Amino acid sequence: MDRCQFVCYSIGDVSSERERQARMRTALQRGPERGRKQEKKMTVHNLYIFDRNGSCLFYNEWNRKKQAGISKEEEFKLMYGMLFSIRSFVSKMSPLDMKDGFLSFQTSKYRLHYYETPSGLRFVMNTDLSVPNGRDTLQSIYSNLYVEYIVKNPVCVLGHSLDSELFSSRLDSFIRGLPFYSPRAA
Amino acid sequence: MADESLFDFLHMEIVSHIYREQQSSKEEMDNKDRAVCVSVLESMGFRVGQGLIERLTRDSPSFKDELDVMKFVCKDFWTKVFKRQIDNLRTNHQGTYVLQDNTFSLLTQLSNGKQYLDQAPKYLAFSCGIVRGALSNLGLDSVVTAEVSVMPSCKFQVVVQKL
Repeated sequence: MDRCQFVCYSIGDVSSERERQARMRTALQRGPERGRKQEKKMTVHNLYIFDRNGSCLFYNEWNRKKQAGISKEEEFKLMYGMLFSIRSFVSKMSPLDMKDGFLSFQTSKYRLHYYETPSGLRFVMNTDLSVPNGRDTLQSIYSNLYVEYIVKNPVCVLGHSLDSELFSSRLDSFIRGLPFYSPRAA
Repeated sequence: MADESLFDFLHMEIVSHIYREQQSSKEEMDNKDRAVCVSVLESMGFRVGQGLIERLTRDSPSFKDELDVMKFVCKDFWTKVFKRQIDNLRTNHQGTYVLQDNTFSLLTQLSNGKQYLDQAPKYLAFSCGIVRGALSNLGLDSVVTAEVSVMPSCKFQVVVQKL
């Protein structure tokens, strides 16, 4: 199949030799499957922020292909309950002394990253598998965005859901600016 | 860096404390209550501004005229208190000055546009008082008001009272 492909390029091509060779090179690099499917699928799917009592303060999604099938409220409760159970499970079953506790889990399609601040705020981010460690990202979301635009905002009451548009827009541009974010995910 | 946050948090709590106090007796705040809160905040700022200006001008020579005083307020005073300079100063040369600050430090964390616009005056009252106190200790009696149309940019209007 491959060979047929680049023979076509070289016959139908009227431009210079160098361009033809460049096209052959890219065709080879693309590998057996054509074009886009082979591009790296790096992305952030969604982000949750919970407070220490379990209420979801903030949720946003960027690239979510499948919904959970339950209402948003139930989904948040499910997420929080699961995290609570996993954390206590991890600490009980750990064969060594535990340092940070639960960090992330992965499936064959996505990875969930978890970060908990000393003040009890919980950040949960789902990304695809190419992101090995989302902890630093979550920590910088906390210190550069949450502390700056929510804690220092006199109108935002701690414990209520985060309404500030400034926070949402800054968070959105931060996520889109991450090196592992790309808007096209397979 | 911690020093800056100390004042920001204290200021936030002062404003909400005063509004809570005023509201404690009734359910809804009417305009009269709001005016009381604003004037309390403004008079607190007045005393703070008076003290600040004494400290900041102890080494500088005396000012030539009113415009010089306003320029000092726009540059050195604003830098010391709000960490930046005034972006635009306009005057009609008859005692009215408009100081425009495009990213006023007490409003930057609130919003970047129209959200929370109705809450903005609460957080400007103290600063108006600071400006009024500073000017009064430099010999200029004035009335200072502030207006916001798009956050975080705001305009302070100073009308110098002639005796």
